Amino acid sequence: MNDINPLKNILLYIDGSEPSITAAQMAIIMAKAFGCALRVIYVVNEDLLSELLKARVFIQMEKMDYERDLEEDGKRYLNYVVKLADRKGLKVETVLRKGVVHEEVSREVDESGCDLLVQGELGEVLSLRDSFYEEGERILRKVKCPTMVVRGRDRVERLFDSL
Amino acid sequence: MRLTDYITPDHVKIGLEGETKEEVIEELVELLAGNCEDCDADKVLEVVMNREREGSTGLEKGIAIPHAKCDAIDSLSIVIGISRDGIDFEAIDEKPSHLFFLMVAPMTESGPHVQAIAKIVKMIKIDSFRESLIKAKTPEQVVESIARVENGE
Repeated sequence: MNDINPLKNILLYIDGSEPSITAAQMAIIMAKAFGCALRVIYVVNEDLLSELLKARVFIQMEKMDYERDLEEDGKRYLNYVVKLADRKGLKVETVLRKGVVHEEVSREVDESGCDLLVQGELGEVLSLRDSFYEEGERILRKVKCPTMVVRGRDRVERLFDSL
Repeated sequence: MRLTDYITPDHVKIGLEGETKEEVIEELVELLAGNCEDCDADKVLEVVMNREREGSTGLEKGIAIPHAKCDAIDSLSIVIGISRDGIDFEAIDEKPSHLFFLMVAPMTESGPHVQAIAKIVKMIKIDSFRESLIKAKTPEQVVESIARVENGE
């Protein structure tokens, strides 16, 4: 099957949210089903921290402290996906970046040459204007590769459990 | 993340009695402690006050977001206090603060904490939302206003 399968590399974007874990399950299912390599990326949202600093909600020291925390969170989420994949006999590569989320994901898409980006259900937005700032939406607009947005947690969980 | 997963009418106090920054923070911490089991109110008060000493969390347009991380609580806690008269919270614009969001997160859960703060900062930029909270007559109305904005209404 792999010989005729054009899908070789899947990139999964996670942010630690429940929808991104559902996306992780789906990406693992697809990587197993199609015999693909799976790479998973988490981005420390430095942009958001800078905005909160600029808005004077955070002070500089606090921003640095939260940045370290988010990096640790990222490592934990990535490790969680590694373990999730390992349970299904799949090895995954992990990438942790810092910066503007959609730009870093897009850069990873370009550099890794992935065939498909998988991400979780889009976040809620407060207004149409707000939708332009939602990270999932921004990734969708920015990346230059096929992208799959995973919805339907219960169905994905059933599929994952049956794998 | 949805703020209404963290904020119920029990997490809202309309008509804060405190008249100084310290008194308001104490009042908010008391409200927070009343809503979380086994949390050490003295410890929470200490970390929130320490954070305020580093720099005021009084923003523009009558909003303040005092916050801190604390090992005395197990999960992100948010309470809201509203003062009709306003309190000098050393705000950026030097105007009285009316709307207070106290947020305290455990040491190990910064992701949701940052997201919640960012969401509140985004929401309070909506004039009608801000006004609806300041003018709310009941805690239920405050939570309903938050839910409406979160639902994109």
